[in-house]
Amino acid sequence: MKKSKSFTILSYSVIFVLLILYIAPLILVLNVSLKSYPEYLMNPIGLVKEVQWSNYVDAWTEGNFANYFINSIIYTVAATVLTIIVSVMGAFPVARGYVKWSGFIYLFFLLSQFLPNPMVSQYKLMLSLRESLDIFGYDTKLGYIILKTSGTGVVFMLFVGYIKSISRDLDEAAGMDGSGYVRYLFQMIMPLMKPVIATGVILTAIGIWNDFVGPIMYLPSKVNYPITFGLKEFKGQYGNNWPLLACGITLVAAPLMVLYSFIQKYLVDGALAGAVKS
Amino acid sequence: MYPFGKGFNRYVPLLLLLIPFLLYVIFYFGPSVLTVIYSFTDVKNIPGSPVNFVGLDNYYDVFFSGNSGERWRSITNTLIFMVVVTVVQNGVALFIAVLINQRLRGDNFYRAVFFMPVVLGVAVVSLIWGMMFDPLSGPVNMLYEWLFGYKDMFFASFTHAFGYIIFVQIWMYMGYSMLIFLSGLQSVPKDLYEAGYIDGTTKWQSFRHITFPLIASSFTVNMLLSIIGAMSTFDIILATTDGRFNTRTMAYDVYKETFRGSLEMGLPSALSVVQFLMILVFVIVAVKQMRKREVEY
Repeated sequence: MKKSKSFTILSYSVIFVLLILYIAPLILVLNVSLKSYPEYLMNPIGLVKEVQWSNYVDAWTEGNFANYFINSIIYTVAATVLTIIVSVMGAFPVARGYVKWSGFIYLFFLLSQFLPNPMVSQYKLMLSLRESLDIFGYDTKLGYIILKTSGTGVVFMLFVGYIKSISRDLDEAAGMDGSGYVRYLFQMIMPLMKPVIATGVILTAIGIWNDFVGPIMYLPSKVNYPITFGLKEFKGQYGNNWPLLACGITLVAAPLMVLYSFIQKYLVDGALAGAVKS
Repeated sequence: MYPFGKGFNRYVPLLLLLIPFLLYVIFYFGPSVLTVIYSFTDVKNIPGSPVNFVGLDNYYDVFFSGNSGERWRSITNTLIFMVVVTVVQNGVALFIAVLINQRLRGDNFYRAVFFMPVVLGVAVVSLIWGMMFDPLSGPVNMLYEWLFGYKDMFFASFTHAFGYIIFVQIWMYMGYSMLIFLSGLQSVPKDLYEAGYIDGTTKWQSFRHITFPLIASSFTVNMLLSIIGAMSTFDIILATTDGRFNTRTMAYDVYKETFRGSLEMGLPSALSVVQFLMILVFVIVAVKQMRKREVEY
């Protein structure tokens, strides 16, 4: 089909305007993060004159970011790994029909997408778990990790769909050779699921790393703060000291941006798979 | 049927399945059902306190209790938020997706940039916009002064704060909707446009009669995601204004009543149920409307 030149130019200009709307805030944050506070007050949006790398050191130490980073990594890695393992354990027998009422169990898990908000009684549950078990539940790392581990939802659906495309003959061959169920599941099926597991890992990890409300509700102690909550506290502490806050924003966003530029392609596929199949 | 013999009994899969099943029932399904049950009781967040059935009292209180003026405000805010976000986000996303889909140079780069805010997360995004919208030194105010000759309070403005929150929400999730539209557009067969071109269709006609019916299923998915998302999102509100300046929504109220208000849990439960029913109604209506427009090819 013939393309009209004016339409192409119009398209580029619309996209260009939108790109500015998406990129300009990031550049501004970077620029501000390198200014000294007096320079920022004098000229908030002008290009930085004297680069202050020490801002980053200040933000890193005063914001206690090292601890929050470690916490975030613990929550994200543990809950993501558990979610994947648990989802495989659930998805395989359901996809194959190796347990009774598989169809019903699938629907039951699918229901997780449409249930009323469980927030109120979840909170009560976490409080009473803490009351009775002490090391588990409200305001404990372990409790938060378990709460964030879900063997249902989008990852489960993705896995069920993918396992259905793995040949059943493989199960039978493994059974003939005397492989046990557990060994087969983790040594044969999981390696075959690599692409879909990659998608699941990315979706789950980003969800947990970026969770903003969960930590506010369940992790009120400073030793348990993840990075999102740490950033919120940092903002509370430094009010409108934007150069320092901009360093905080950059410190939190930079690892995500770097990671994003590498996994961007997979992430896009994953986001689509999750959206269209759920 | 079940190929694993030799020393491993057939209850092993069942045992393994029990783990995700229990996690789901204890942490999500159970609490969800309990929320509905709690909404009819006077349950408090004090261990061991008695629980009485109170009928529809909590539902009455949701709409007509002492601060019901604020509640109606939250309900209207929720509806405004949902309608504006759904319409604008999907409108912009569809427009941009159509533009990108005509094989512009650098299309992968645009996709990546527009999707980026989702990866950055609410904590970072709300702080970035807090900085852009700073009433004293933010660049947007300088732009406003230059363009319109006045300054704004942004997240501290009683009349405008909610509008800016809506803007940030759309800015954050527009790329997600755009991706879904793009994948729909890429599955539209090219020869249909060629046939249309021979018949002399205009650009608008080919969009209206070829593209739109064929991407209607992407539309359904996007409508669902943005309705459910907009009705239940409150983390952006929490991170920007914390509910001040007339920016409360129902989802925010559920959070507020549960965690910072009284120890009553019946009222927030009832509020969650009302919110759930509203989502259900809008989703059913939207899906019915969209399904009519979907065609197979």
